[in-house]
Amino acid sequence: MLPLSLLNAAQNKPMLVELKNGETFNGHLVNCDNFMNITLREVYQTSAEGDKFWKLRECYIRGSTIKYLRVPDTLLDAVKEEQNRAREAGRSARGAHVSGAGQRGRGAPQRGRGMVRGGGPARGGRGRGRGM
Amino acid sequence: MDKPKREAILDLAKYVNERIRVKFTGGREVTGVLKGYDQLLNLVLDEVQENLQGLPEGQPTTRNLGLVVLRGPTITLLSPVDGYEEIANPFVAQE
Repeated sequence: MLPLSLLNAAQNKPMLVELKNGETFNGHLVNCDNFMNITLREVYQTSAEGDKFWKLRECYIRGSTIKYLRVPDTLLDAVKEEQNRAREAGRSARGAHVSGAGQRGRGAPQRGRGMVRGGGPARGGRGRGRGM
Repeated sequence: MDKPKREAILDLAKYVNERIRVKFTGGREVTGVLKGYDQLLNLVLDEVQENLQGLPEGQPTTRNLGLVVLRGPTITLLSPVDGYEEIANPFVAQE
């Protein structure tokens, strides 16, 4: 469960964004990017002191100024389901396309070389030690 | 995963020649008519008014800055002035 994948899945969902300066924004997420820059629509802005309120048609918020975002609880289940479906799809796709032999063939020699290189000097060292 | 988003999530073309409100890191706030922009969110605003905050009563709350280039990386918030209004607490009824 990655923060940005949850945010991506929250598009068109209502959310609360609090900035580092304490201002909060309630609105529906329109778009977001990998910097966590976001655009909201139908926004209610609240001052840091919580005493003033504004309505905004839409707004853009720089990701680096965000303290946290509150998203709907139900989003978690939706994203988990989506991930499971993606994993299943990926598994069946890999099984069909890549032959097991090809993957193992590339992996096995590397592992073998590592063992030989690692084991050789160690065994030699022990041998000399016992001899002296 | 999604394809990486190369294009900006905010299409500033729709705000050209419209008055927008911009907040900066540090808390300064201006409104102005958008004349130009780039992909780094650097902006050109005309007829810029800075909304001064934290001044004693009786002081002017705005000052005119004219034509201004705003540096993108310092911009924290951007919204159209149209549809922006101070309202009563909208959450009391819901809670």
